[in-house]
Amino acid sequence: MARHDQRAPTQPDRPVGYGLPTVLAVGLHVLVVVLSVVTLPQRQPEDPQTSSIVQATLVSTETTTDQAQRAEEARARAAARQAEEEAQQAEAEALERAAEEQAAEEAARQAEQEAAEREAAREAEARQREEARETAEAEAQRRAEEAERQAQLREEQEAQRQRQQEEAAEAQRQAEEEARRQEAEAQRRAEEEARQQQEAEEQRRREEEEARRQQETEEQRRREEEEARRQQEAEEQRRREEEEARRQQEAEEQRRREEEEARRQREAEEQRRREEEARRQQEAEEQRRREEEARRAAEQASQGLDRAIEGESESVANARQAQEAANSFINLVRRAVEQAWVIPPGATGNLEAIVQVQLGPSGELFGATIIQSSGDSSFDRSTIQAVEAAAPFSELRQLPAMAQRDFRQFNLRFRPGDVR
Amino acid sequence: MNDSMSIPHLIMSASTVVQLVMLILVIGSILSWVVIFQRTFVMRRARRSHQMFEERFWSGVDLNELYRETPSEQETQGAEQVFRAGFREFNRLMPKTKSPDAILDGVQRSMRVAWSREEERLTLHLVFLATVASASPYIGLFGTVWGIMGSFQALSMAQQATLSTVAPWIAEALIATAMGLFAAIPAVIFYNRLSSESGRLLGKYEDFAEEFHSILHRNLQGRSEAGTA
Repeated sequence: MARHDQRAPTQPDRPVGYGLPTVLAVGLHVLVVVLSVVTLPQRQPEDPQTSSIVQATLVSTETTTDQAQRAEEARARAAARQAEEEAQQAEAEALERAAEEQAAEEAARQAEQEAAEREAAREAEARQREEARETAEAEAQRRAEEAERQAQLREEQEAQRQRQQEEAAEAQRQAEEEARRQEAEAQRRAEEEARQQQEAEEQRRREEEEARRQQETEEQRRREEEEARRQQEAEEQRRREEEEARRQQEAEEQRRREEEEARRQREAEEQRRREEEARRQQEAEEQRRREEEARRAAEQASQGLDRAIEGESESVANARQAQEAANSFINLVRRAVEQAWVIPPGATGNLEAIVQVQLGPSGELFGATIIQSSGDSSFDRSTIQAVEAAAPFSELRQLPAMAQRDFRQFNLRFRPGDVR
Repeated sequence: MNDSMSIPHLIMSASTVVQLVMLILVIGSILSWVVIFQRTFVMRRARRSHQMFEERFWSGVDLNELYRETPSEQETQGAEQVFRAGFREFNRLMPKTKSPDAILDGVQRSMRVAWSREEERLTLHLVFLATVASASPYIGLFGTVWGIMGSFQALSMAQQATLSTVAPWIAEALIATAMGLFAAIPAVIFYNRLSSESGRLLGKYEDFAEEFHSILHRNLQGRSEAGTA
């Protein structure tokens, strides 16, 4: 606008209005607001780096008395114990694994046995079936033989009958010859006799025929009876075979059920055995632990004797309790210092500082000095400040008196954890 | 945390007094920037027109011709206005009196009036800029103090006084101070710059008025000598 006026100086200069400045001013403020809103999310991801929780680890508990050594020995012993326990555990695991392998082998063996038994059963069945077949065949043969025998008997009977008939015919003929001979002597008598004889013969023949018929009917009856018997026998045979088959099936089922039960029992037994083994192992471990404890107690008792000789009297139980309480105390201190630690923004993960902390009898901070600097002065200062911020470690009073002396002075190692 | 600590969220969740303070500061900032832009344009245009007028004035053009060429009184500004006022008074007094002192006195008076009008025109609204520059930090501070008061009142009711419970209150209270400074700093800078610029321009006008006065004096000297002679 001004340049425009410059080019045309003859044109009148209008006073500068407020429209354009207002637009510019509002635009400027909007720009500032937008920039403040847009750039903030980019700045915020940097903030969590400074507030990330960092692992501070207790390195060692430095003490001037020999109790520290004892504590260290105890810790070494504990480590050894742990190692032993781990070894025992490993052994137990190996044992368990071996037991499992054995169980697997047994199962395989059982499966084999079962398979064998099943094969045997199948063979037995086959054998039985073969035997049944053989018996049936034998019976059939027997029946055939009996039938043959009966047929022979029938033939013999027929032959006898023929012979009787022949004899009867001869006797007739003789009687006829005698009659013929006697005809001459007494034809009348003979004729009468002949008539009588004829009548008798007829009578006889009738009787014979009747006998024959009776025999035939008897034979028929016998045959029928035999056939009925045979049929009955066959039916009985069949029934017996069916019953046998049924019995075999039942027996097989029985056997199968028994096998399953046996398997179940075996499994239960194995389970029981395993449990017993585990129990025995646990007992053994407990026994071992008890023995170790006893040993430890004995060692500590011996140390206690030494100490008693030296004029110090601390009980073994006290030492153990003190160590446990001390571990919890270390954890408490570590957690408190971690929470109070504000890591400087520039601190990288490579920095590491060890701070020696000296405490008063009631847990108040006597002094925190850096015994190993990280090289970054602000980082070192932050560690000191963290210890000072977390300072009244009143949990120290809850420790046994012996442990209190141990933890009046300890080292803390500061190391920025993974930057999240 | 990201949502609750963002600046718009903090402004929205602030107390009413703090919000009012913030509103006042935003309005002051906007108005001061309006003044800054407007004055900057006015100064730039006055400087340019003054430069052009001086070039024309010292190019040896006849003063009557220059007076006739210049546009009417309402649309002129700066040295041109001073020249017009002085020359018009000179032309009006010339037929009425023979005394050069009286003519020069009248011309000087009218030129001083014109210069005074120019000064008023150039320094318009700069006082508002000065007010914003000096007052907005205090206004922002008031908002901060009020917000922190509220935060401590709320803190007294809380069970545990952790940093996370206090932090949002203090952050939103400090936003008021930040806004006050945001309004004050440009106002201070541009007030100084614009007032020095207007003072320089007014000095140039004064110089021009003195020079024009000396020219008129020279002319009257010749005429009085010619008249007496």
